[in-house]
Amino acid sequence: MAMSRAIKAQRYRQEEKLEVSLFPFLSIFLCVMGVLSFINVLSSFSAPQKIELTAQLAQGYKVAYQIFNLPDGIIHLPPMSHLRELQDAVDEADKETIEDIIRRRQWVINKLERHSGPIMNAASEPDIFDIQEIMHDIRSLNEIALKANYLYEEFLLFGIYPNGGQAYQKIRDIMSFTQDARSISVGLEPLDSNWTLNLKKSDTQAQ
Amino acid sequence: MRNLISLDSLTDIVSNSVGILIIFAVINLIHDNNKTYQLEIPLEHETDLSPVFFIAKNDRLLVLDTDKVFSNAALQATTGAAGKKRIFALDFFGLFGQIDEEKGISFYARDTSEWPEFIELEKRNSSLRDKLNKIDPKKQFAYFFVYDNSEDGATAGSGFEAFRKAREYLKGHSVKTGWQPVNSEAPANICDSSYSSRCVYLPSYLGGGNTNK
Repeated sequence: MAMSRAIKAQRYRQEEKLEVSLFPFLSIFLCVMGVLSFINVLSSFSAPQKIELTAQLAQGYKVAYQIFNLPDGIIHLPPMSHLRELQDAVDEADKETIEDIIRRRQWVINKLERHSGPIMNAASEPDIFDIQEIMHDIRSLNEIALKANYLYEEFLLFGIYPNGGQAYQKIRDIMSFTQDARSISVGLEPLDSNWTLNLKKSDTQAQ
Repeated sequence: MRNLISLDSLTDIVSNSVGILIIFAVINLIHDNNKTYQLEIPLEHETDLSPVFFIAKNDRLLVLDTDKVFSNAALQATTGAAGKKRIFALDFFGLFGQIDEEKGISFYARDTSEWPEFIELEKRNSSLRDKLNKIDPKKQFAYFFVYDNSEDGATAGSGFEAFRKAREYLKGHSVKTGWQPVNSEAPANICDSSYSSRCVYLPSYLGGGNTNK
């Protein structure tokens, strides 16, 4: 009996020695939790919202030809999504016209996609000939769609970045003496410098 | 020591909380990175409504009292300001003007310290809010000349944020808005459309596009 008591007492002393204090462990955890909460709260209040703009944009039958105006120039993004459907609905002569426009627009999009580095650095000075051709193409497509009784209308949508007003004014100046531009609807929206363009996203993906 | 409360459960709770916070942080990050914006689709359109002009700069908004500004400009025109294209003070919230046959009256906003800040729109009974409330949506629309200048590409300095807030406020009151970007090289100007095809001030529709994921 005395023997077993001695063994129990010895075990008890050993258990007492092995007990680990959880206070440092808890202290570290609480610190980590506090820091994480702090970062979370801070990021939700102060971090600028990262926003990506869709490459293809439409509202009903109205389809946007987007022109982003930056301090270094413009990036223009022609709409492509409904052109093949429109092509199927028109006569042979107009099919060829649309095919030419699709080819030209695909070249513009391929050039943008091939651009290495941030897409917003792909801006270039607005060229009078390019702007006139854009207006002419939009007008041709709208007239073809109207003739074929097909619900499709393209309009110009200007996205104005900070210090991008100069490029916009230049385009509007060109448009003011271009006959083709008279019938084209125009919209414009102010954009913030941290809003970037995502070529891979269309409006359907965004919804 | 043996009588102390066991800390095992507390440790368990704390570790779980840390884990959940980490998961939230990761979800938040993924969520933010995937945020895609569809532009509003505001289309300029012809209207019988008459414009009420605003200038937005440095997060401030100025409602142009055209009667006062035009009469002051007319006085200056009699002293030969038009022929010499002289820039003169308009005696209206630090605005300067210039008369040009093609551009009409151009407005140079150099000092905006007297202009109301757009955050006043959030305050009840603010003078800015009163001025916006006076716009009759059946007869008038708001047209903004918005300064696009900003230092280091930041919003501060430009009038974009002020314009967005005012537009949102006016939209809530069924008032149509239109705008154009301006800067010191291409300042705000009011002219007659019979002189130049650029002298057109149109409102826009605000479509259903908005922030989407």
